[in-house]
Amino acid sequence: MKSKNINNIGRAILLLVMAMPLGAAAQQDSVKPKLLLNVGYYMNNNQMMYLLANTKAKISGKFKQVPGIAVTVYLDKESPDQLIGKTITNEEGLGKLIIPASLKSVWDASAQHQFIGSTEATKEYESATAETDITKSKITVDTISDGETRKIAVSVSAYNGKDWIPAPDVELKVGVARIGGSLLTAGDEATYTTDSTGKVSAELLKKNLPGDEKGNLILVARVDENDTYGNLKVEKSVPWGIAVKPNEHFFDQRTLWSTRFKTPIWLLAMAYSIVLGVWGTIIYLVFQIIKIKKLGTSGEL
Amino acid sequence: MEKNTILSSEQITQDLLPKKFGKIGLIWTTTLVIICLIGAYAYFRQLKYGLAVTNMRDYVSWGIYISNFVFFVAISLVGSLITAIFRIAKVKWATPLTRIAEIIAVSAIVFASLIIIVDMGRPERFMNLFLHGRIQSPIMWDVIVIATYFCISLLLLYLPLLPDLKILIRFKEKTTNSLYKLYRFQGSFWKGTREQFKISEKSINVLCITIIPVAFCIHTVTSWLFATTYRPGWDSTNFGAYFISGAFLVGAGGVVVAMYVFRKYYKLEKYITELHFENMGRIVVLLALLYLYFNVNEYLVPAFKMKKSEEAHLASLFTGDFAPMFWFAILVGMILPIIILLFKKGRKPFPMFIAGVMIVVGAWFKRYLIVTPTLLHPFLPMQEVPANFHHYFPSWEEWAIAMGSLAGALLVITFFARIYPIIPIQETITEQHEEQEHQ
Repeated sequence: MKSKNINNIGRAILLLVMAMPLGAAAQQDSVKPKLLLNVGYYMNNNQMMYLLANTKAKISGKFKQVPGIAVTVYLDKESPDQLIGKTITNEEGLGKLIIPASLKSVWDASAQHQFIGSTEATKEYESATAETDITKSKITVDTISDGETRKIAVSVSAYNGKDWIPAPDVELKVGVARIGGSLLTAGDEATYTTDSTGKVSAELLKKNLPGDEKGNLILVARVDENDTYGNLKVEKSVPWGIAVKPNEHFFDQRTLWSTRFKTPIWLLAMAYSIVLGVWGTIIYLVFQIIKIKKLGTSGEL
Repeated sequence: MEKNTILSSEQITQDLLPKKFGKIGLIWTTTLVIICLIGAYAYFRQLKYGLAVTNMRDYVSWGIYISNFVFFVAISLVGSLITAIFRIAKVKWATPLTRIAEIIAVSAIVFASLIIIVDMGRPERFMNLFLHGRIQSPIMWDVIVIATYFCISLLLLYLPLLPDLKILIRFKEKTTNSLYKLYRFQGSFWKGTREQFKISEKSINVLCITIIPVAFCIHTVTSWLFATTYRPGWDSTNFGAYFISGAFLVGAGGVVVAMYVFRKYYKLEKYITELHFENMGRIVVLLALLYLYFNVNEYLVPAFKMKKSEEAHLASLFTGDFAPMFWFAILVGMILPIIILLFKKGRKPFPMFIAGVMIVVGAWFKRYLIVTPTLLHPFLPMQEVPANFHHYFPSWEEWAIAMGSLAGALLVITFFARIYPIIPIQETITEQHEEQEHQ
């Protein structure tokens, strides 16, 4: 009797467990996926400032970028006179905005600002909002070269409304820009953190890095997605690399990628022999037709 | 001709002389002319407003025009198969089909050349190819080989036509004055002397030998336009053979369709017999199996490896946006015709006609699938481009021009059949005499 009861309870639990995904699926069908909106602040070389609105949603357990969403962004408060702009997110779920000149006085008036982003509800997604607070900041990069040792001195400063003060405990990446936009970190550490004076010193341990034709390397100091300062990036060109001259080995040579006057001889020989062979045959056949015609008009039998 | 049915020379001539269009012929021709005119208007708009009227953009820069070009080049190869290969192999039964194959080849190659110019935003710059062309470029090879193939095909159409022109001139009362003048201009010098026949036969043999490598070159070079470009779906060492096998299939399919239509319309049952369909059916099924084999190679091997860079392209074909078209092309263009033609009943004229239509339609979509999906899946990701760059569907102008070019090719064949005998008269008479002597 006891075992029968246990069996019944077991069956009930099994049914419940089996029914749960169905219930969840039904729920999923009726509820729109939640749209996640983020407004990122970007400052390049302490001059170029822009915002990137990002829309994504959790679909089938994975975060996926959501394209085609209209995002409206305001500066500090949601009023028409403080509208930064509207953007529609692209295939990667990103929409770029630049703070218009009309908001310069509002921007200059304070050291801290808030970006308020919002989307309207669509057929697929509910509406979403996002607020991003930033404090104006800047990065300066200096270099110290002492014989064999080369150091990159980076200082991060925040604006307090009057002066630029050191920004401590800011995590940043310091390194050399490589082809394709990636960053080769200067030392062994992936990131560095500013001290109480807002400074970081990183020794460039990588030697003999290939630079441009003059041996210049691009040093990069970058703050990514900082809660207070947003995304900051500064680049500085230094003559610390090895000058790399363009490969001129093939210049002015007969190659498949040269100009028409530098065609490889073997290709010319092949192409012309085929063309002449075939067209020679065609010309021969045309003469044969002329011969047939002459035979016909002369009445020869 | 039906076996054991000996026809008199007079009857053969009467049966095979070109005939005026009937009611159906007029409707057919008018329809083709209207489609061509719509295409011409669409091209006028393209010339006026530029390639912006098309839906080709930065990524899909080769759309329906180049698909159509590849299709035309493919179907033109049939001239070399039916005329040259069969002639050299002394396949006598194919004689009634040679002219059909040759006119398909000539009309297709003409429109292949035209459609390339249509694809150019600035057609007047075509001359630059000759003024500043580089022999290193496969495009240059294609221009040379297409021009060569066109000339050889034209000669191969013209030389066997000379004895028939003499017959056409003889039957002046059966033709119009302008056509009579045309026949005289083209062949009044043909007296049918032994010496003329000897030179003509020798020239045709030389042409048949020359056209085979040129035909192989034309389609290999066309395949190299793709294969020499490092892209998913095109990066294959097999492309030349894959293209040639496909070309022979579509060409043979085209001939089967034309055989059926001419036989039905001109009542040529005595000349294009069930035996011709039976033999062509066997050839087509062999070619379809060969092409299917190359398709398995082209898709199954990359799919087995599923390299990351090719994954999106293959997925779009197998299960993605292009899947319905892909499976249609494989099933309708290859598998179903194979099934139909494997059976003796399937090699009867009407089932053969259906299989031929399936092959030609399937082949057209197959060319579209070779060109477009690859362009939509470049190795480097598409970035910072408008949303419509990620997809391609031809604009109405592109459809109109493409359909106009197809109608134009059919119109050339139609007018040719109206002006010249679609089955060689003199050769049929000669073969009939030979058969008579044999009996």
